[in-house]
Amino acid sequence: MSDKNNKIPFNEDNYTHNIERNNERKLDRRGFMKTLVGAAGVFAVSSLPWGAVAAKELMGLGEKEYPHKKITEVSKLPIGDAVEFKFPGDHDDAILIRLSENKYVAYQNACTHLRCPVFWVKEQGEMICPCHHGKFDVETGSPTAGPPRRPLPEIQVKVENGAIFAVRVKRYEA
Amino acid sequence: MKRSYLGVIILAAILMMNIVFTQYMVHQYYYENYVNVLIFGGLNIVLFPLAVFAYKKTINMRA
Repeated sequence: MSDKNNKIPFNEDNYTHNIERNNERKLDRRGFMKTLVGAAGVFAVSSLPWGAVAAKELMGLGEKEYPHKKITEVSKLPIGDAVEFKFPGDHDDAILIRLSENKYVAYQNACTHLRCPVFWVKEQGEMICPCHHGKFDVETGSPTAGPPRRPLPEIQVKVENGAIFAVRVKRYEA
Repeated sequence: MKRSYLGVIILAAILMMNIVFTQYMVHQYYYENYVNVLIFGGLNIVLFPLAVFAYKKTINMRA
């Protein structure tokens, strides 16, 4: 008796000789496992940019000083008032608040929850995000209520010749 | 045909670890612990060859 019909077909991964139903290969264990491997690959590739920006920050490129930018004149900003400005880029909203005669605080005012603009409520002495009622402490920028968990990035300011300048964005410690 | 689902279990576990590491990586980035970001990103990348290896090892296994 010949064993012509008793041979195991050659070893290949993508066999097509024993498909009995339409789309059978889409339902089976191999196809599912391939999908899982592919998903692992997607995760691997998508973590590359995070690694890149983290490495960039580690090498100190994130610490660079931005050119000082004039925000406003001291005389135009009464005590207790706030003014919005852009720093360091043209699309980075920020807010400057004059707390007393010589005390200014400035933060990047994108809420650390979902990046809504945080504004200053003079009457309540709080910074409030209107989207989900997040509140921030005006002295430190740390969140006091609502969904945000991280403080607002603080901007260092200096006063020179009656004008207020934004100097740099402070790093905060987690 | 009896088949082993060990590979499926291993790959599902790898994918779960992928999700956990990615979550950690993103959070550590915003907490500015950049060394941890690199560690978890590296782990995420290492998991991919591991997944390929697990697939190849278990694909022809019979229970």
